[in-house]
Amino acid sequence: MSEPIRGWRSGAFEMLPRLWPLVALAAIIAIIAIAASFAPAVLQRRTTQGLINLIAVVGLYVFVGNSGVLSFGNVAFMAVGAYVSALLTMKPAAKSVFLPDLPAVIAHAEWPTLPGALAGGVAAGLVALGIGWPLMRLSGISASIATFAILVVANVVFGNWTSVTGGQNSLMGLPAYVDLWTAFAWALAALVIAFAYQETRSALLLRASREDEAAAQAAGVNIVRHRLIAFVISAFLSGVAGVLLGHFLGIVRVENFYLDLTFLIVAMLVIGGRGSLTGAVAGAVVIAALTEVLREIEVGFQLGKTTIAAPAGTGDVILALIMLLIILLRPHGIAAGRELTWPFGRS
Amino acid sequence: MERVVQILADAVSVGSLYALTALGIGLIFGVMRLINFAHGELITFAAYTLLALFGQPIPIMLFGAVSVAIVLALITERAAFRPLRNADPTTLLISSFALSFFLQKLLILLVGSRLKGLDFLPALARQIEFAGVRLQLLQIVTIVVAIVLLVALTWFLKATRLGLHMRAAAEDFRMARVLGVRANKVIAVAFALSGILAAAVSCLVVVQTGVVQPRMGLQLVIIAFVGTVIGGLGSLSGAALGGFLVGAATILLQAFLPPDLRAFREAFVFVAVALVLLFRPQGLIPARGLKERI
Amino acid sequence: MTSGAPLLAVSGLVVRYGAVNAVREVDLDIAEGEIVGIVGPNGAGKTSLMLTIAGIVAPAAGTVTFAGRPLGGIALEDVVAQGIALVPEGRHIFASLTVMENLLLGATIRHDSRAVAADLDRFFGMFPILAERRRQPAGQLSGGEQQQLAIARALLSRPRLLMLDEPSLGLAPLVVDQIYALLGTIRAQGVTILLVEQNAERVFGIADRVHVMSGGKFALGGDAAEIKSHPRFDAAYFGVRMREAASEP
Repeated sequence: MSEPIRGWRSGAFEMLPRLWPLVALAAIIAIIAIAASFAPAVLQRRTTQGLINLIAVVGLYVFVGNSGVLSFGNVAFMAVGAYVSALLTMKPAAKSVFLPDLPAVIAHAEWPTLPGALAGGVAAGLVALGIGWPLMRLSGISASIATFAILVVANVVFGNWTSVTGGQNSLMGLPAYVDLWTAFAWALAALVIAFAYQETRSALLLRASREDEAAAQAAGVNIVRHRLIAFVISAFLSGVAGVLLGHFLGIVRVENFYLDLTFLIVAMLVIGGRGSLTGAVAGAVVIAALTEVLREIEVGFQLGKTTIAAPAGTGDVILALIMLLIILLRPHGIAAGRELTWPFGRS
Repeated sequence: MERVVQILADAVSVGSLYALTALGIGLIFGVMRLINFAHGELITFAAYTLLALFGQPIPIMLFGAVSVAIVLALITERAAFRPLRNADPTTLLISSFALSFFLQKLLILLVGSRLKGLDFLPALARQIEFAGVRLQLLQIVTIVVAIVLLVALTWFLKATRLGLHMRAAAEDFRMARVLGVRANKVIAVAFALSGILAAAVSCLVVVQTGVVQPRMGLQLVIIAFVGTVIGGLGSLSGAALGGFLVGAATILLQAFLPPDLRAFREAFVFVAVALVLLFRPQGLIPARGLKERI
Repeated sequence: MTSGAPLLAVSGLVVRYGAVNAVREVDLDIAEGEIVGIVGPNGAGKTSLMLTIAGIVAPAAGTVTFAGRPLGGIALEDVVAQGIALVPEGRHIFASLTVMENLLLGATIRHDSRAVAADLDRFFGMFPILAERRRQPAGQLSGGEQQQLAIARALLSRPRLLMLDEPSLGLAPLVVDQIYALLGTIRAQGVTILLVEQNAERVFGIADRVHVMSGGKFALGGDAAEIKSHPRFDAAYFGVRMREAASEP
């Protein structure tokens, strides 16, 4: 390039390399969504669930990737989102069947789906704000264990607060409005939010402090505040993912928001690479593909009169084994902390 | 009055169980700065060994459980943690999390996920008179076993050469190695000891609940972890104390909370833990010499 | 001094941390029974050099030969068995262990408990304050006492080479006097000493030979008396590039 092009077009051209990771990742999931829209309904549903998982992984990444602190508690925020949105958007008639003891205000509420979803996300964010403040003062590993406690507490509370959540019973009758394109739209939004956040000064300071906490504090960086910001945004996105999961399945069950889902989301992030947004997306995509393959292996195939299939549970073992191998052999995951780079060189 | 003593006995006995569990976790953390999620699987696998050996004489069953726990601990150290010796603590945490799930899912693949009954040492479930109060023999046994193991561990650490090496390694691993302390030996011993503690907890829990299921170890360590954190990561007495307090608290809350709040007792415990951490982030008995390695 | 091969021979040593060159092509010989000092400002590479000789850091290039055998690639735990004892910067005593336990750790590689006990008695004679406080947690000792403890602990492995990294750091002058007097006694007992210091004055008082290290390289080296009065000492210490002699006034 000899001379810079004047005018608004130059602004876009200059921005493109910087926005490339976002654009490329958005394009990738758009291609996946488009391809799935031509596929049979079963595959569409699996893709939708994959996109929801992607939102959850991106949510986890916003905190883990920027702060360097592993969080086991994001599935708790998913549960918050799911229950809040369910309570606000379910038909009063359905609510009175499953949750006869709800306070009247909630029992009669019937919000449209979008405000319900946003409320779910915001509620998760508020919970994170409340409990995050003491938590973020803990050092790395203690903070991780504390997030584990969040998961357990949420499980205990939701599992026993029968009047509001139905306790151990499934909460059924959620408006099942989440289809492929709804999930895609939210996934896109999640990518934009995550990307926009990680370009902010707060996120930059947080990443800098990740390397050397003492130095950052000496330089006057308020690590607690920046960690909390990441935590709240992360919770919001996880809450939205929970909302979508609930309204995709049509039911909310407390045991679906506990250790197995936590393991899945963490595995996706670790395998994809917890240091970059590209890693988060890569993990979601790769694991979604892998679970398809593993599912087929467990279903088995016909060879004459016999079905050769792996025993139930093989898929889980293989997933755990892969996560273990990745952390041993390539601890920074597939993306190794890097974002997709502008392939056309610097202009 | 009798009721109060019974509740206290229950609290002390359950607290002791969690203290032993937290101690197993704390031992590994001390030398490796690793939170071993897979400690729960040591407990679970030991329990399934008891199941597998059921019908054999009791000493054989116990020996089997202890051996399996120790061997599994050493294998996991060699395979999943030694390669990560110099990795950052988060990577180690992820590794132990993945390992825990791998072992759990493997067990489910092999034996199924449903719980199985195991009538182990039913004699311990009977009630005895102790100072005019009716208590369960198992509670006394649990407390005694915990005390014996604590004393034995303390003796080992304070009075033996290997114990001295372990304490030095826990405080300043590199300097210990510069003086000639063998890293692999110290870590292997720590894992083996944690295996013994896990097996003891496993046997006691199996007697108490009468069932084995694939998640039993994980449920124990989740609470024990939190105990280790409030006790102070890196200090063994802190781990034991924290585990004990958390375990005892769940029993006391169960007894003294109004009935409709009882199911939430774990939530209350964890909230109390959060409050402790808020005012004392380094834990109740912080380890000396523990700089920002975590 | 001593005839024959040097006890420690370092040749062409290069140490890198990522992109940073901490030590650039250093050659160093230490004969048995010598006290060799390496002086230089902060960041000169002295500690990296010492850690590499001790085997804690792996060099990017070059060799370290001790008592005729190459030291590359041996495990950290085996270095002390070779006869090298390190007293690192900041002393690194085990604060939660007693003075006695700290000392016993110095004898980790030894299995002759009678001789260890005899050595301990001897050190309690040399370091009376340690005898007095032997059952106290080492964290309660003063800086100077901790330094004595670290040295005694290092000596308990009966090393041929004792390496000290900044032993005077953070200590009062009178205390440093005591430490340096000790070093003289230790040399008299046949231990070779490598001493790294920022405080050059002290080193000149005790060392046989001195090297000036700056920016990862040895800028000057020779007999202590010679270096002490060398006209280019300051320039070498502070890394000022030396002009050609012809342009000097």
